[in-house]
Amino acid sequence: MSKITPLSNSHELGLHGNCKDKDEANLLVIREVTNIKIYQLSKFKKSNFDINNFSLDGYKLPNESGLSTGNENLRILWQAPNIWMIISYNENIIQEIGKQCSDSDFAITDLSHSRAILEVKGKDALNVIKKGSPLNLNNFRKNNCANSVYHGITVSIDMINDDPITLNIMALRSFAGSFHHAITDASLEFGFNAI
Amino acid sequence: MSQEFRISSGGLIDRSKEISFIFNGKKYTGYKGDTLASALLANGVHLIGRSFKYHRPRGIIAAGVEDANGKVQLYKDSITEPNVNVTEVELVEGLRIESQNCWPSVNFDVGGINNFLNRFFPAGFYYKTFMWPKSFWYNVYEPFIRKAAGMGKASLDPDPDRYEHQYEHCDVLVVGSGPSGISSALSAAKNGARVILAEDKARFGGSLLTDNVTIGNKKGDEWVEDSISELKSMPNVIVKKRSQVFGYYDHNMLVMFERCKDHLKNPEPYTPRQRLWYIRAKHVLISTGSIERPLIFANNDRPGIMLATSAREYLKVYGVLPGKNPIIFTNNDTAYETAIEFKANGIESIVLDTRKSSNAGVVQEAKALGIDIKFNHGIANTSGYKKVKSATVGELNESKNGYKNLTTIPCDSIFVSGNWTPTVHLASQSGNKLKYESETDTFLPNQSRQQETVIGSANGSFTLKESLTDGFSKGYQISDEITKNGIETSIPISDEKDFGSHDKFWCMPLPNKKHYKRFVDFQNDVAVSDIQLAVREGFRSIEHVKRYTTLGMATDQGKTSNLNGLQLVSDLEKKIVPEVGHTTFRPPYTSVTIGTIIGREVGKNYRATRKSPMHEWHEKHNAVFVDAGLWLRPRFYKRGNETLQEAAKREALNVRQNVGICDVTSLGKIDIKGTDSAEFLNRVYTNAFLKLPVGKARYGVMLREDGMVFDDGTTTRLAENHFHMTTTTAQAANVLSHLEYYLQVVWPELDVNVVSTTEQWAGAAIAGPKSRELLQRLFPEEDMSNEGFPFMGFKELEFKNTIARVFRISFSGELAYEMNVMSDYGEEMWNEIISQGKDLGIQPYGTEALSTLRIEMGHVAGSEIDGRTIAYDLSLEGMLSQKKDFIGKRSLSRKAFTEDNREKIVGVVPIDKKTSIPEGSYLVENAKAGFPNPKLGHVSASCWSVEYDNPFSLAIIKDGKNKKGEKLFAVSPLKNKIIPVEIVSQHYVDPEGKRVRS
Amino acid sequence: MLEIKCPYCGNRSQNEFAYGGDATVKRPELNSEISDQDWDHFVYYRKNPRGNHLELWHHISGCRQWFKVLRNTATHDIIQTMEMKENP
Repeated sequence: MSKITPLSNSHELGLHGNCKDKDEANLLVIREVTNIKIYQLSKFKKSNFDINNFSLDGYKLPNESGLSTGNENLRILWQAPNIWMIISYNENIIQEIGKQCSDSDFAITDLSHSRAILEVKGKDALNVIKKGSPLNLNNFRKNNCANSVYHGITVSIDMINDDPITLNIMALRSFAGSFHHAITDASLEFGFNAI
Repeated sequence: MSQEFRISSGGLIDRSKEISFIFNGKKYTGYKGDTLASALLANGVHLIGRSFKYHRPRGIIAAGVEDANGKVQLYKDSITEPNVNVTEVELVEGLRIESQNCWPSVNFDVGGINNFLNRFFPAGFYYKTFMWPKSFWYNVYEPFIRKAAGMGKASLDPDPDRYEHQYEHCDVLVVGSGPSGISSALSAAKNGARVILAEDKARFGGSLLTDNVTIGNKKGDEWVEDSISELKSMPNVIVKKRSQVFGYYDHNMLVMFERCKDHLKNPEPYTPRQRLWYIRAKHVLISTGSIERPLIFANNDRPGIMLATSAREYLKVYGVLPGKNPIIFTNNDTAYETAIEFKANGIESIVLDTRKSSNAGVVQEAKALGIDIKFNHGIANTSGYKKVKSATVGELNESKNGYKNLTTIPCDSIFVSGNWTPTVHLASQSGNKLKYESETDTFLPNQSRQQETVIGSANGSFTLKESLTDGFSKGYQISDEITKNGIETSIPISDEKDFGSHDKFWCMPLPNKKHYKRFVDFQNDVAVSDIQLAVREGFRSIEHVKRYTTLGMATDQGKTSNLNGLQLVSDLEKKIVPEVGHTTFRPPYTSVTIGTIIGREVGKNYRATRKSPMHEWHEKHNAVFVDAGLWLRPRFYKRGNETLQEAAKREALNVRQNVGICDVTSLGKIDIKGTDSAEFLNRVYTNAFLKLPVGKARYGVMLREDGMVFDDGTTTRLAENHFHMTTTTAQAANVLSHLEYYLQVVWPELDVNVVSTTEQWAGAAIAGPKSRELLQRLFPEEDMSNEGFPFMGFKELEFKNTIARVFRISFSGELAYEMNVMSDYGEEMWNEIISQGKDLGIQPYGTEALSTLRIEMGHVAGSEIDGRTIAYDLSLEGMLSQKKDFIGKRSLSRKAFTEDNREKIVGVVPIDKKTSIPEGSYLVENAKAGFPNPKLGHVSASCWSVEYDNPFSLAIIKDGKNKKGEKLFAVSPLKNKIIPVEIVSQHYVDPEGKRVRS
Repeated sequence: MLEIKCPYCGNRSQNEFAYGGDATVKRPELNSEISDQDWDHFVYYRKNPRGNHLELWHHISGCRQWFKVLRNTATHDIIQTMEMKENP
């Protein structure tokens, strides 16, 4: 069945913004993250499950606010007390999750189609966030995540890497067009390559 | 004759880069590094505009934001901006400026006649003069005042520039880069604090750019340069010039605008013009310095009269002589610096000092240089229409209320100094209640309300030594509370001139029997006589005097006039200044463009929009969209020249006759899991949910605790402990918060998880008598018969390698289904449904047809569920369980909610079966009754019934249950309509609800 | 623009939150007998103090948790924030 990704109609490839006379290596790189699985795990109040026994590819559920974990293919984000978001390129990640816990311990909800995700990479990536979000990014490092607002749109921000700074920014799918505009318009001053 | 007032060397401008500009049609040149003001003065241009009320010629009086007169209309490329201050605009190629508030020209201004009629324009003149006759207001007075007031003209074109916002968080924000600002930034930064240093001008340094001082072994300006480079090299410091911190808000949030582009010759295309910074600072160090006060004397507003330190700034920073034959008039020592600086550049001046003597070092130095000083002298009057030509001066008598003798001295400029006013605006905005310091005649910050500390001359520390000590020690102290690093920076030794105290005398007497204007507020043309009149007429509170005279109410916010005005009121009322008090300082400190405040959110991006995965399909098929909250939903799909009504009728009729498809993605969807889910829903909904079988949907109604209907929708039990709730588009977010509130706050013992899945699923409603056939085609293997898939049934089915959730629910009152697939597949689903339904006559329908269908069926929606109706009013009382408690139930037994003649929903049909009833019309018994005509109810929604081909409306009306068959009138005074109507059942079509179950 | 310390996420700007009213109001138990007057007090009557006020906030664009805030209504100073199960 043919798919339409959230940003397929917004994301125009190529160079944009103040790119003239700039080394392409210094430009921001922005791409839509697609073909990804997203599950929310919410531990039930009455469950006695020890989250230390949960591990995907060796990554545990981060048990502190603002922390994320994982690698290029898997991200686990703290969302709220006893709530996590698992984001993975593994199409069968739900089976892996199922091996770790049961749906009597966690409310497991498939949200794979509900988010538009942009990856923003480059030295100015955090400055893009500062242009629309009141979040304090002074101590925002690799494997930090936060939910906040960006130009009035609720977003989740996850720092996957710090060299170069690589952020995944997620918004509800219906906001895709406005979200994409806000992020890319803020990136024009730095110049960016949409891939 | 080009730049004849520019000295040949010195200053911080770049003489190798000449820049031309046009002022009132005439071409001038200046240099890179000039402001418009300095470039104009370099060309000997003092006359900039006409004053607000009397249209008197006015010139530049200062070199910074405090200037009260230099407002012009600025043109650059295709843009224009009104009320721009020439002291704040940096010179770049391509600028054209024009005087404002004058017609036909600044040199010959018709309004100047007001100057000669000035005794008809006293304080409160607007209040007194334009009162009668009332009919004159719109046609005569108001247009006249508007034209006469003639500030600049706003552009009618869209602003072509980009504006951006930026959020920053820091430990210490330092506002102002004078000696105390730089030293505090240095010591805080070296102690490891995250520092932002903001300077509003194009150059750092503040008074150090003009004062002859040394710090350490460096000259003041060299120390500035080195310190700024050092700060810029530190990773924990952000240094910003051209950045005005203009507002101090709650929880140490400060707002600043940065001028990013206008000063650049060839800016990059996407560089914003201005950037608005929201800075959350743990502590704010306010080192905003102080502003020189003018002295008040007769005709003290002529072009060529300016503040003494500003004159020195023009000389030292821009290499410009604002006058070649100046009189310097002062009541303190600082103006002597100006005399000395001018002397060093070969300009002789006369100093008039109101004091009897001064022993300050700087005065001795001036004496030693042979500068002509006349103590105990005042200026009684000036002359010169477009520029000052001479001053009438005289020795003051013993009581300083007159002159012993008067002589006239020719001059081309007068530089005045009436002592210093600390810039306390930000501290005051933060909530600091100011205290009065009578020794210096200043209001100073007192007790900090938020995390703010005022340092340097803004805090009354007027010497360099004090300022540096203040800066270094406070910078360390405050940073150390945050960083605890304990790294203290030593205070360098400084050297400066010696200054003494000022004369508490600042308002010169008029010459005998003369009534010249002595201006206090230049921008709003408020003179001493206006304030005297206000006090004479009984205004006592300074806030009242301010509003009556408009003192300090112009765009300069009285930066140069407030304190003189206060002192005057205190003299007149024979009160001390602190008893008079001061007026309130409010943000913004200087004018901020609206574009900067709006930022990126302009045009179609003025707010975020939400779109369904089928949005592009709708666009391609001529959908006209309507806002539903943030969602854009197709209102109708336009064919040819159809009107909205024609299209809605066609689409709705097609649903009644064949089959239609409607995008319902925007309906809220909430996934509910957990062992207490059924119990929770049973409390949230008014009807029973405990025993809803798996695989079945149920319509549910939610109330608020006050008993009003909150929302409705269907909820489906997917598994024993798993439900799928739907909400209206409008209330989706509120319902989720409502559920979270009850789960987290009220009943935390319930083990239920709720999460929004609105965007996970793309939804299509398929409605009409042929919908079953269409469904059968989509799912050929499935039993779609009425028995196999009954009303309120649910099936999860395989659909083209993915799964589809199919619900047999109906909003249109027809046989109908709702189909959901995961959003990526939404458009594919939609195309498949349309292609399978082609020969069944399928048509997409929008919200307008959707409304028509639900209205004629009598289904309630947002226009009835308006937060003022209970279930009974909407004929939903059957949904109220008698057996269980639920949210809001107890409210329903309140007396008003149980009264026999309560409002109830009814149908309304015009008697002529032709006239549509405007939504919002009132229903009354007698259309001709006088006002107030008793209202029986209101029309909540109207449509053109496609079933009966006549107008039909829903209304909520008093005693509705007994009103059926009555003949009333629908009146809409807004649309000037009176329509005879008959009250009928709300269920106009299929009152038994057979179709949905067929 | 207030800065509110979410007990779970730390200091965040007010844009991320929604105000939720008086935190001292307790909903009567379901199925309990309750007088008109008590119910009215629960639904309608609220104190409007000048000074400290214990109120609910919802971290709507953050962790979506409801929590309590002790805020001075005159100065906007936030004295304390806490989880629902805690008290000032």
